[in-house]
Amino acid sequence: MSEPRSRMLALGSGRPTIEVIEAGQGPNLFFLHGAGGVAWAGALPILARHFHVVAPVLPGFGKSAAEGLELLEDQLDLFQHGFDVMEALGLEKPLLVGESFGGWIAGEMAALRPKEVGKLAVLAPVGLWRDDAPVTDLFGLEIKELLPFLFHDMSCPAAVGMSALTKLMSDKDDKTDEQVEQLIALLMGFRTAAKFLFPVPETGLERRLWRIRVPTLVLWGAQDRFIAPSYADIWAKNVRNAQVVQIERCGHLILQEQPEASAKEIARFAGV
Amino acid sequence: MKFTWFHLMPYRWLPADFRQRYHSVWVDLPNGIYDPERGHDLYNEYLDQLEYAEQCGFDAIAVNEHHQNAYGMMPSPNIMAATLARRTSKAMLLVLGNSIVCYNPPTRIAEEFAMLDVISGGRLIAGFPVGTSMDINYCAGQNPATVRDKYREGHELIMKSWHTREPFAFNGKYTKLRYVNLWPRPIQQPNPPVWIPGLGSIETWDFCAEHDYNYSCLSFSGYKKGEALLKGYWDRRAALGVDDNPHSAAFFQQVCISESDSLCEKEWWPHVDYFFNNCLHLYPGTSEAPGYRTAASLRAGVVAQVGNTSANHGKNKTWKELVDGGYIIAGGPDSVRQQIEELIKKLRVGHVLLGCQIGSSPAELVSRATLLAGTQILPKLRHIFSDFEDRWWPKPLAAARRAVPGHYAGAAK
Repeated sequence: MSEPRSRMLALGSGRPTIEVIEAGQGPNLFFLHGAGGVAWAGALPILARHFHVVAPVLPGFGKSAAEGLELLEDQLDLFQHGFDVMEALGLEKPLLVGESFGGWIAGEMAALRPKEVGKLAVLAPVGLWRDDAPVTDLFGLEIKELLPFLFHDMSCPAAVGMSALTKLMSDKDDKTDEQVEQLIALLMGFRTAAKFLFPVPETGLERRLWRIRVPTLVLWGAQDRFIAPSYADIWAKNVRNAQVVQIERCGHLILQEQPEASAKEIARFAGV
Repeated sequence: MKFTWFHLMPYRWLPADFRQRYHSVWVDLPNGIYDPERGHDLYNEYLDQLEYAEQCGFDAIAVNEHHQNAYGMMPSPNIMAATLARRTSKAMLLVLGNSIVCYNPPTRIAEEFAMLDVISGGRLIAGFPVGTSMDINYCAGQNPATVRDKYREGHELIMKSWHTREPFAFNGKYTKLRYVNLWPRPIQQPNPPVWIPGLGSIETWDFCAEHDYNYSCLSFSGYKKGEALLKGYWDRRAALGVDDNPHSAAFFQQVCISESDSLCEKEWWPHVDYFFNNCLHLYPGTSEAPGYRTAASLRAGVVAQVGNTSANHGKNKTWKELVDGGYIIAGGPDSVRQQIEELIKKLRVGHVLLGCQIGSSPAELVSRATLLAGTQILPKLRHIFSDFEDRWWPKPLAAARRAVPGHYAGAAK
């Protein structure tokens, strides 16, 4: 397994300085993480066998200082920030992959500057809304209650790992300094997601979807209880070059719960 | 010393199995269990109590703002204050306050507070809370990552609209107005006194010091735990080189006043229990949105992951634990006076906000407590800190200059 490299990238005055995680060799895969940040586990290490995986970390997550979020005032700033990072790293027309929150950003980027994206893969992206299938409220549940919405099988290794973390969320006053910092890190990441998606994670992507012209893979866990697989139909209907693939025995965090199957689909779609 | 009678206006008729059936008193408690006819009685009973507090000699009467809950039925405190403005004449009106970020545009607050000040003849104290996360984020949909910034901008706009005598343009990040030109403007110049409710955040203390506002410590944990908060406040003021005038601080304390110590527990316990275990029954998932508190504030109190004014440490405690811990001050007039005096001196506060109605406490009990406070407790404490000027108190029109409500209605006969 290739070890990821972490480094800080200064985008310039008035723009955030962020962490970038990188691994592997091959075609460029630009990965936009979800509301939990980048976990170098699951499918990412597998993808790094085929791709040069580049994962920028949004302000508030990982080593990217939360203060940088003040420089991304609205969603246009956020989407342009994605291109700023690509440009700073010299990535031309990469395979753009985004998961959940990051899937929304990836979709918006592809609709905003379609000629600068090679291919697009969105993994259970948020950003759309149907009253009859409301997206789970990421910001209105206790973390420990959230997990069953994120996994199909709560006994899979990733779910077990995250359960351990949620135990920190108890109201007991017995946390070590390290645990307190872990908790604050989690909340600061959620804050970043909240800045753009609170209180209802829908900001008009649906009317922009038609502008996505690149080949698009829409990957969904067949048992996703966070955001229903039926949302894939909206992508299929509006994105002219979209293919929808469901992964069986899989919840919302596709790359975590089904690493092999999801990496295989992405590699197949990319033709590597 | 000045004493304010502070009403929370709880809904008294939660079902007996409320805590088993519902996960929270706030945000998503179905409004089907609210009975508007009972609500009619409650509003009028509660407003009567505030009016009676004036008659008993309280210096001010207070209302506040909360949304979508059975804890406090005042989504619009300004409507409450408006009814009180017409039915009272001596007591100051403390609205603590209007959650700035929930008003669009925030000049609405400047207008309504100005109306209240003009109607009441200059008796308004203007409160500007950030608001609990439950209210402003989950009920009002305001973005937790930006509310503090939005609050600061809204505050700037309100104050500028009060202070400016010509129309001006305001190009804010959250509010853009080509013509700001407040009609009416307040009687009190340059503005009504401003009080900022909060708990123990340094940012709030600094904000108060910077603008010379009163810091109102609203905690349900009572004066014994409050001592540490106020110590932090006074230390911070000293560090900033600001004066130590006791009137710059107010403290909220719930009190159970009976005719004697021995009657108190029997008379008040069911209502205190209702308050701490029903009115503060909160669901952690919707108590604090991510970003509502800064990382620094989280680090200072990561354990209490509940909304600002609603940290409930009094849950599942016995009467004795609540009394011993100072969560409530309870007893006959003498022992209550003694404990309030201790509160005043230990916390060094020139304003005490008394919660004389608690949870489900019935009208008769509350009236008696209010009368006992007004006649046997407050007169013995008023002299404290009288050598300090209170810069945080309204300057109403002289009584002779004031309009008399009903005067013209009567004249028509």
